[in-house]
Amino acid sequence: MPMDPDIQALWITLQLALTTTLLLMLVGTPLAWWLARTKSLGRVILEPIVALPIVLPPTVLGFYLLLAMAPDGLLGQWWFSLTGERLAFTFNALVIGSIFYSLPFYVQPLQVAFENIQQGLLDAAATLGAGPTDRFFSVVVPLSRRGFITAICLAFAHTVGEFGIVLMIGGNIPGETRVLSIALFDHVESLQYAAAHRLALGLLIFSFALLALVYGLNRHWQMRLAARH
Amino acid sequence: MHINANITLTRPSGFSLEVAVAIKPTGVTALYGPSGSGKSTLLKLLAGLERGSATDQINISSDGDIWQDARHFVPPHKRHVGFVFQQPQLFPHLDVRGNLDYASRRAGSQQSPPLNQVCDWLGINHLLTASPTKLSGGEAQRVAIARVLLSGARCLLMDEPLGSVDHVARLQILPYIDRLRRLLDIPIVYVSHGLDEITYLADEVYMLEQGRIKAAGTVFELASSLTLNSQEGDAAAAVVEARVEYHDQSFGLTCLRLGGQSIHVSLCSQPPGTDIRLRIPARDVSLALQAPVQTSILNVLEGVVSELEPLSTNPSLLVRVQVGGQYILSRITRKSLLQLDLQPGRAVYVQIKTVALLSDLTQQVTISP
Repeated sequence: MPMDPDIQALWITLQLALTTTLLLMLVGTPLAWWLARTKSLGRVILEPIVALPIVLPPTVLGFYLLLAMAPDGLLGQWWFSLTGERLAFTFNALVIGSIFYSLPFYVQPLQVAFENIQQGLLDAAATLGAGPTDRFFSVVVPLSRRGFITAICLAFAHTVGEFGIVLMIGGNIPGETRVLSIALFDHVESLQYAAAHRLALGLLIFSFALLALVYGLNRHWQMRLAARH
Repeated sequence: MHINANITLTRPSGFSLEVAVAIKPTGVTALYGPSGSGKSTLLKLLAGLERGSATDQINISSDGDIWQDARHFVPPHKRHVGFVFQQPQLFPHLDVRGNLDYASRRAGSQQSPPLNQVCDWLGINHLLTASPTKLSGGEAQRVAIARVLLSGARCLLMDEPLGSVDHVARLQILPYIDRLRRLLDIPIVYVSHGLDEITYLADEVYMLEQGRIKAAGTVFELASSLTLNSQEGDAAAAVVEARVEYHDQSFGLTCLRLGGQSIHVSLCSQPPGTDIRLRIPARDVSLALQAPVQTSILNVLEGVVSELEPLSTNPSLLVRVQVGGQYILSRITRKSLLQLDLQPGRAVYVQIKTVALLSDLTQQVTISP
């Protein structure tokens, strides 16, 4: 029995958001750390690049990514040599696009959290015998817990909500690249307002709940910290 | 642990540091100087928290192991140096106990004293479950020192540890550090611009000024140096160390031994056998060629003139007198100098009017005739 197309879209969306968020944690965390600590000039170039998706229309980003991911594009060729598969209009293309698109939403809150950690605490940890990795997990991570929660939730929610990029580089292939926002668009186009409502309201409630959770957690920790002071 | 450092460093700001220091394996070596003299930079270089730039010449070694030279750099977490910062730098996400455990878990194969002993030494037993943010400045700094001791540190680097606490807390912490100096057989390098802390704690002193070593020696040599005291005017004073001999309850006095001679101060709390430090202001010391008879001055010591301040237009000058291997300063008038015909090598009687106990900073005990 074929799966309900909307459930299928929901499933793809969740997979996409989860994969993107996990990969962002791997890539974005060191990047945020570097941006927060470096004094090198590279920061002047990298910081705006990271922030670009905030101001650019997603279609612009999607357009260039599509060119790069095309079979004769740089990214597309590289991917083909690596896997023997084409990249454009696949789930993998969506993941790569989402990483770029959601990068600032993950990196920026984390960078702020990292910048707030006093160098003195890290120096203290170092002289107590903690190496760089040890310092990161025993001092930096616990002290930037709020930054991590915010970054993870924003990156996840933002990936769930993306539309323009998906349309450009993923298209609308059921079971492969058809995510919730595209499904919603389809319903509206074909005047299926009841189905559109179901998805729209679902997304609205999901987003609200997630943001409420983030703010709630942040407030909770802020109050706990204040109680300690 | 011996530490040797030979450093030539230049900053883009124009500041430069050119020093060579040898840290002895026990006792307190003080780096003393005004702010901007480079003493904190030197300490951070010793810890590996700063490493200079490629053009600097930095050679630091410890017991034959190279910590830093042109090709090597041992990162701070592998040097086993305990660092006490001006701010306590306690981890806010852990309670006091958690902060202490953080250190002991990373001590590895290094020896460190047991937790309860360290807590006793620093008087922090009652604070173990508290959050660092709830502690007073003095308490937090004591926890920070305890944390360093538990990390298995083989030397203690202290960067103005009393710089961020108020006067009361300073007086509260100093005796604890003094106690560590006596209890631990690891070197302590102590950075400060407070002369009282230095004379109270230090054994060896490097005086830094604008990135250069201006003077170096034992605290007693430097405290009684004529050149260093010449600008001090009425504040010129020598520091000597004496051993508590007995307490004379009936007169409220404590008798100390100083190079085989007796010296009396107001009753102090230290048990017999303890070495304590005395600060003797030069203006309260007079010299005589004959043993004074029937004087109200209690403390008369025999000494030998070792050095005279060069004559100037000043009506008075400083005389450095050796008393049993230590030095006392006396401020006398030029007229007295001529009348007594004082010269290096001449035996004199040193009459001391007031003595301040440095080892009892909380109640600067003085004795007057």
